[in-house]
Amino acid sequence: MSELIVVEGVSKRYVTSSGPVDALRDISLSVGGGEFCTLIGPSGCGKSTLLGMLGGLVTADAGRVVVDSRPVERPDPRRVATVFQDPGLFPWRTTLENVEFGLELQGVPAARRRQVATDLLGPLGLRDFAAKYPRELSGGMRQRVAIGRALAIDTPIVLMDEPFGALDEQTRVLMGEWLLDIWRRMRKTVVFVTHSLHEALALSTRVVVMTARPGRIKSVLELPMPYPRAMESSELVALRAKLWSDIRDESLRAMGEPHP
Amino acid sequence: MKVLAIRVAIVVALLGAWEIVGRTANPLLYVPPSAAVPALGRLLARDSYPDLAEHLLLTLREILVAYALAIVAGLGCGFALGFNRLVGRAYGPILAALYAVPAVVWYPSLMLFFGLDAASKIAFGFLLGFFPITLAVLAGIRQVSPQMLVVARAFGADGLTAFRKVTLPAMLFTLVGGLRTGLALTVIGVIVGEILGSKSGMGSLINHAYGLFRTADYIALVVVTLVLIVGSDALASAVEHRAQRWTD
Ligand SMILES: Nc1ncnc2c1ncn2[C@@H]1O[C@H](COP(=O)(O)OP(=O)(O)O)[C@@H](O)[C@H]1O
Ligand SMILES: [Mg+2]
Repeated sequence: MSELIVVEGVSKRYVTSSGPVDALRDISLSVGGGEFCTLIGPSGCGKSTLLGMLGGLVTADAGRVVVDSRPVERPDPRRVATVFQDPGLFPWRTTLENVEFGLELQGVPAARRRQVATDLLGPLGLRDFAAKYPRELSGGMRQRVAIGRALAIDTPIVLMDEPFGALDEQTRVLMGEWLLDIWRRMRKTVVFVTHSLHEALALSTRVVVMTARPGRIKSVLELPMPYPRAMESSELVALRAKLWSDIRDESLRAMGEPHP
Repeated sequence: MKVLAIRVAIVVALLGAWEIVGRTANPLLYVPPSAAVPALGRLLARDSYPDLAEHLLLTLREILVAYALAIVAGLGCGFALGFNRLVGRAYGPILAALYAVPAVVWYPSLMLFFGLDAASKIAFGFLLGFFPITLAVLAGIRQVSPQMLVVARAFGADGLTAFRKVTLPAMLFTLVGGLRTGLALTVIGVIVGEILGSKSGMGSLINHAYGLFRTADYIALVVVTLVLIVGSDALASAVEHRAQRWTD
């Protein structure tokens, strides 16, 4: 597998009014084309920071971030699209217009971008909501609009930061199945952040467990089994137990630490 | 439809009450609508004030100039303060405090500076219109969620594009509201300025008629001025609705 994303020895320290915060320390990671790589770890361990670096929104203090053989210096919407934890939809734009946003910035002619966005609404399950504004949509729909906005610019890489974090458990499972279907059809490389063991095991080709802050890589789990996965199979149950014990240690450490 | 009916009922009731009070009170001070209407007719026929049109035009010109200045300075000042956090924190509170001072206290010094002619009226209208516009820009900028700007950056927007595609639409509603308030206050400023001391403009005619106890003419002049005020606000309101559609 060719390595599409390479992170080498990356560290990040934020300087805040209450002192420095070491968010990431010496992280190295590579992700191959077509992978669904999931980052999991306690809150505040630097997952969003790492995604920000891949997306060119956060600069590393040390180390190298290479995407598609090029060092990342700024956002590159032709290679990388991001779905943020807080979707940040534009309330004055309809579903369709929100999905079109990235194409609009790239100067794609109106008729063409409308076509692309309209074609996406079907798979997004938003066909009847094209002319609705974000405030008229449910949380799950809003998150799908944000995903649509990222898919519309048709990048080889999609970064997703806890896209389903704010949804209830049932919606979340369904959205996971939906995303899996999209990912398999569109052949994208996905770097995904979640807190859900179920999500990580059901969706990923690889799960990367991060330590409590400063974030380092604690363990990596390869998941070569085919989709859709039987979550009750002995193999996955065993993997789940291993994943849980790794995350548990780190979450306990994160909880034991005085709050920043 | 119901709203319209209620509105008509209120106007009719007010006119009725005015008529009753006006007929019973001192005719020098109170004029019933039945006497004001003929006065309005005389005014519009250029009977009572033959040079009405010139005064009206002068007032309109003063308003336009004052408002244009208020927009330019208000937007400039608002964006400068809003985008520069340090300057904003230094001057924001001063601005808000100045806004709270009843603006009329500045008028005597404006007359000293700018004289009795149009300039002092323009200055006063400007002063009243400037603050709501500046403060609306500041409030609008604060409304723009940082996350939306991060999204814009991630999707490839440079500073100017982010301003056009995110900051401006996100604050447009507040901004246009401020522009509308600014216009209303500019109009008030110019007319009050003319009433307080001037030889020409609608305010000066009002002052003249009032001073000579020509109460019916006075009412007619007020009505014409009101039409001017309501008309300008209706225009601003139409723009506001358009802006809402642009942002939608
Ligand atoms: N822009 C920032 N300025 C200061 N501190 C930050 C900033 N972004 C994140 N942090 C801090 O860095 C740490 C890691 O944050 P983040 O990457 O958001 O973690 P995660 O996504 O894993 O919860 C946290 O302690 C957070 O408070
Ligand atoms: Mg996060």
